Amino acid sequence: MPTKEHADGERERCVTGIDAIDHILNGGIPRGNTVLISGSVGTGKTSICIEFLIRGAINGENSLYLSVTEPTDKLLQNVIPFDFFDDRLARQGKLQFLDLPKMYEKLGIDKEDLDFDQTRLLADTIASLVEEQKIKRLVLDSVTSVCYRIREQERIRDFLLRLGTVLSAKGCTTLLVSEIRSSEEGYSQWGVEEALADGVIVTGNLERRGDLLRTLQIVKMRGTTHSRAKYVLDLTTSGVLLVPLLKGGSVAGGG
Amino acid sequence: MVEVSVTAEVAEKLRALPESSAISMRLKSDQYFDAIQGMIDRFAIKKDLEVVYVTSTIPSQSIINALEVLEIPMEHIWFVDCISQIMMSQEKRHPHAIIVESPTMLENIMLKVEFLLRRVPDRNALVVLDSINSLAIHNNTKILSEFLHILVNNLRSRGAYTVIFSMQEYETEEIRNMLVLVSDETIELGAYSGS
Ligand SMILES: Nc1ncnc2c1ncn2[C@@H]1O[C@H](COP(=O)(O)OP(=O)(O)OP(=O)(O)O)[C@@H](O)[C@H]1O
Ligand SMILES: [Mg+2]
Repeated sequence: MPTKEHADGERERCVTGIDAIDHILNGGIPRGNTVLISGSVGTGKTSICIEFLIRGAINGENSLYLSVTEPTDKLLQNVIPFDFFDDRLARQGKLQFLDLPKMYEKLGIDKEDLDFDQTRLLADTIASLVEEQKIKRLVLDSVTSVCYRIREQERIRDFLLRLGTVLSAKGCTTLLVSEIRSSEEGYSQWGVEEALADGVIVTGNLERRGDLLRTLQIVKMRGTTHSRAKYVLDLTTSGVLLVPLLKGGSVAGGG
Repeated sequence: MVEVSVTAEVAEKLRALPESSAISMRLKSDQYFDAIQGMIDRFAIKKDLEVVYVTSTIPSQSIINALEVLEIPMEHIWFVDCISQIMMSQEKRHPHAIIVESPTMLENIMLKVEFLLRRVPDRNALVVLDSINSLAIHNNTKILSEFLHILVNNLRSRGAYTVIFSMQEYETEEIRNMLVLVSDETIELGAYSGS
């Protein structure tokens, strides 16, 4: 289904509310895009996703966090306490947290590996949840853990395509967390994820003469021009802040 | 008295400058604390500016102590401290001091300045860089120029004053060139030197 367009052909944006990211993307993520947030452990993936959801909820967009790895009741204790977070968002249902293991249970998925039908059932269940609850921002943390259970590359492709099509049609902007090792090539475990995603944002660590800097880089984003430069990131109580990585003609590579 | 004169001179010269100015302040070591007093007490406090003081020269606690002796209220004064990481434990840190691990983490200095200014979007600010000489010990000229360029432009667009300290005894040709490139004004406190 075609995505909404402005008269000038420019796609409508999902203004993330993370100022620096909106700035890099010239106004936000094109609405309905599925974006991979890819990075090694502890690089800030979950924090970025949570800020994205809170900012959306504050702005009146229904936001849903699907957690696979961490129980959602512990989640907020383990990320930085954002000062713009408001309990009322959760009570009003604007900001929802859901444990995927509970969904598996409800769907009667008890085996470690999902077969073809179960994979479809999972995609359809998430899709209808988004539809019924009019979710405009979705986070799946992490897509890597879901893919581990789907296992087969073909089924992973089917799952992501099926889900992505519905989400995009509903104008739901989605962040898929992808866990990678810093030594790895590419931005996802199976490669399918990054190929199918509309965007890829990479978080990482950069060592420069003994200092370890957190970095963020937008590698791809369909539907908009954007800077592909590397930024240095800080996770603060007022949200994610970015400044350009200084080159100084002397940076010893790495990423 | 010499001390009073330096203090008054700094304040007077700063007051003559418009918002968004980037100022090089060329000091002799013995004028250091007087210059700080003039800049903060007689200029920033009078103008009701939020002060973000980046120090890579002496620990923030030493400056805080000096300000407290002068009974300068700390409410709107914040520190980004690049040299206390090793020396100070978490509990001993002043609540208005944020630590940057090392003066080589220039991006993190910018991020902390940004963080502090974001908390007071409606207030005008003075950002002090103390000093270019100590930053030059830890960083090469290229990266330091790039840092100053980005920082100053960012602060200028916010309407903030930027004051960059340069200790005349430790100035090199490179530092002088850098200051010329990045600042709109130079305040030189040579007049009261020596005595
Ligand atoms: N309460 C807190 N205060 C300050 N910093 C925190 C706090 N909680 C977490 N952090 C910082 O956030 C980092 C982890 O961020 P986050 O959980 O977003 O990363 P991640 O990429 O999702 O990690 P993982 O790979 O474990 O899922 C920690 O390493 C820590 O530096
Ligand atoms: Mg995480």
